[in-house]
Parts: sequence; C-alpha cells; structure tokens
Amino acid sequence: MSMLSNSLKNLFSKPATRRYPAVPANIQPNCRGRIEYDMTKCIWCMMCSRRCPTVAIESDKAAQTHKVYRMRCIACGACVDACPTDAITFREHYQEPGYAPIIDTYHQEGPIPKPGPKEKPPAPCDPGEAPKKA
Amino acid sequence: MARTTVVPIGPQHPVLVEPIHLRFEVEEEVVKGVTPVIGYNHRGIEKLMENDFKKNVFISERVCGICSHQHSTAYSQAVERVMGITPPDRALLIRTIMFELNRIHSHLLIIGLEADAIGYENMFMQCWRDREIVMRLVEMVSGNRVHYSMNQVGGVRRDITDAQQKEIEAGLKLFEERFADLDQIMRHDPTWTARLKGIGILPRKLALDLGAVGPVARASGVDYDIRSTRAHPYAAYHMLKSFKPVVREEGDVWSRMIVRMDELWMCLELIRECMSLMKPEHLSAEVRGNPNGQAWSRVEASRGELVYFVKGNGKPAMDRVKIRTPTFANLPSLGPMLMGCQVADIPPIVTAIDPCICCTDR
Repeated sequence: MSMLSNSLKNLFSKPATRRYPAVPANIQPNCRGRIEYDMTKCIWCMMCSRRCPTVAIESDKAAQTHKVYRMRCIACGACVDACPTDAITFREHYQEPGYAPIIDTYHQEGPIPKPGPKEKPPAPCDPGEAPKKA
Repeated sequence: MARTTVVPIGPQHPVLVEPIHLRFEVEEEVVKGVTPVIGYNHRGIEKLMENDFKKNVFISERVCGICSHQHSTAYSQAVERVMGITPPDRALLIRTIMFELNRIHSHLLIIGLEADAIGYENMFMQCWRDREIVMRLVEMVSGNRVHYSMNQVGGVRRDITDAQQKEIEAGLKLFEERFADLDQIMRHDPTWTARLKGIGILPRKLALDLGAVGPVARASGVDYDIRSTRAHPYAAYHMLKSFKPVVREEGDVWSRMIVRMDELWMCLELIRECMSLMKPEHLSAEVRGNPNGQAWSRVEASRGELVYFVKGNGKPAMDRVKIRTPTFANLPSLGPMLMGCQVADIPPIVTAIDPCICCTDR
C-alpha cells in the first residue's frame, strides 16, 4: 500500500530532475571541473607534469609552455595539490566533449618569476591544514 | 524425458547490465545447470598498476565506478601497511564517512536494479531518485560524483568541514524519511515479497563451502563482516560502537535485499557516529621513501570482502598489485542458487548477488 500512496504523491509533486539546458546544472563550489593555469605564477618546477598519473600535462621549460591534453585528464587534482605556487586551480566548469583531441596550450611571457617567500615545498605528501575548531 | 537445451545469455543482452556470459542448461522452463564465463571486460588494471605507488591510488579507484572509494581505501591502506604509516584519526574517520556514503548509493542502486529485474519500474525510479541525494553529498565533499579522489597514501586529500557535516546531516535526515518508505515496501509489499521470497536459496553450508562474501553470505546466516573483524582493523571501524553486523537466516533473494536495507540504516548510524568523533587534526601523515616489502589489506566493500595484495621493491614503481573482488568470490554460489529455478527467475537471482563484472575482470 505504501507504494500506491507514493505513486499518487509523485503524480502531483514536482519532477525530481531539472530541465538541464534551460535550468543551470547544480554545480558545487569545490567541483573538480577542469584545470586552469595562472601563468603569471608558474615557476617551472615541473611538479604538475611529473605528478600527473595520465601524462596529460606536457611542460616545456625552454619554450615556457604547458600543454594540457584535455581528453587524457581525469581531473584527479594531483597537479593542483603538487603546485607550490597555486598556479593551477580547478575551474567549476566541465570540459565539453569533442570529436578530436583537445589540447590547450598555456604560454608564459617574459622572465620566469622567482618563487615567493611564502613558497611551500613541493612535499611528497601535503600534510594539509589542521581544520579550525567550530 | 525432457530434452536439455542450452540457452546462452550475454555478454551482450538486455537483461544483463554488464558483459558476462551465462550458459544455462534448461529442461523446458527449469534451469538444470549454469556456467558463468568471465573475461569480456578485461582492462589489464593489475599490469597498469606496476606504476608509481602514489599514482596507483587513482588507477585503483577506476577498477569500479560504484565502489571506487572502497578500492582506493583498500589500496592505500595496503601501501601504508608496507611503509609502516599510521594515518591520523581524522583521515580515518573521513575515509569511513565516504566509505559508508559509497555503500548507501551502491545498495540503493542494487535495490533499484532488483526492482527493475522483476518489472517494478516504479520502485526502481524511487531508489534512483533517492540515490541522487547521496551523489550530491559526495560531490559537495569531494568535487566529483563518481571518482572521489579522496584517498592518498598516508591519509585523505580533502577535509569534511563543519558546514559540510551539517549538510550531510540534513541529507541523512532526508534519507531517514525515504528509507522508512522503502523499508515498508521491501518488507510488506505483495509484489516485492511474492516475487522474491523463496527463490535462489543458498544454504549456510554451501555459502561457507563456496566462499560467498558480503550480503550474500550474511543473508545465508554466515556472520562474516570485515568491519567487525577485530583481528584486521581498518579505517575507523574499531572506534565505532554502533556497528553490528546484519545477519539473516533465510538465504533467499528477499533476505539478501533485506540485509542490504538493514545495512542502509546502519550506514546512517555509522556516519553520524563518525561525524561526532571528528577532532581537528592533520589530514595526512608524512610519507617518506618508497614501499619495500609486501602486505595485504581487506575491506568490507558494499558487495563483500575486497582484498588487495601489494608488493614493493624499494623503488617508486610497485612490483605487483593483486586484487580479489567480491563478485569473483560470489560467482561460484550462483550455480546452486539457480539450480531448479524457473527461467523467469533468472534475472532477479543474478541481480541479487550484486554482480560487478567490471570489478571481476579488472
């Protein structure tokens, strides 16, 4: 009987799904969408390409370019964790599908910036911050 | 004398969600034998895991899309055991919370699929709608719906903040309401009980002999739950007092589903207890050097016992990672369950062991 009342309730309630293209998707603030470089901060330590499990980042220090193979990236966030200057961040936006491999190139103009005084070492395991007490 | 006919089902078949080949010997409408053939979904994950031990966490997660966190937990704690690392308590509690959230959505998925297998579309939709709540919670915490990437060797990568804990609590409250409905349907609804009671019976002795694990074993009266095995403590289960294994005696498809339903209630308790135990602490222990030696670890994944064996040789790349998944252990018991049943009962019986062929073939 419980199912019958459930069915009747459902008949008169709002749909559980959202009409996606018309209504924006429910994307959470710390969503792991796609990675983006802020090239003004990059100090060319190469930790991002070294830590990437799927070889999705190709870094060329001489040419000062990072190539990101979007189809290989699994959005695990290993590069975001490894970056000592927070030059890589997640954008809250998923990568669009495509028919051909999508490669984004990030190029840095001018001299390589010196690591700032607040630089955290590229530790093999980031201990993380102790959370604040409520 | 009836003639025996062989009916091949799969690997591509509308009844089966995943590629497994089942060869049924039937006499008229009665099943007289079954041979499962696996290997259609082999991806070479174990070979791929001869890789950097930190990068392997992400590969282990991709063994399975449903129990992804459980795989990476099993892998991380095996490597931690080799390297002699003890993760901080907060990391263990966060692992446990994600573990139980993972179990909620896995069990809701299989209850929904079981309803789908008996043609109860309405309930299937209800289960999958409720599953969306937990998917949203894990997305809020980890940033992704399926592959959470929460684990790393030594601890976890993301925190569950106080604000997020409040949202999880609100989600659990909503679940309580929905589970109460679901519980009533599964115990008393005539469509559900008449269709599932008394089919696919696995006696206790056979469950033990064939090495059944998880809800399949527990529904046959085998009290076997790694979460309660004190000899092999893992994650934060040794700190939790509210845990009691769910065991039933009937051994049929219906009791397997009820075991899962009772575990859903247990999940809510465990998550609440974990959140009450969280203290401000570091999220990860320091990892120095490379794994040298071998160890194994086991966890109670939503489908049953999941075993990881790892071997390192002092270099970053692992020597060997061996995975034993729960569905692989449960496949032999499919034979006695299906023996003598009607052809129409095949889909609910096969679905009731919660087969994950993706895990099994790796």
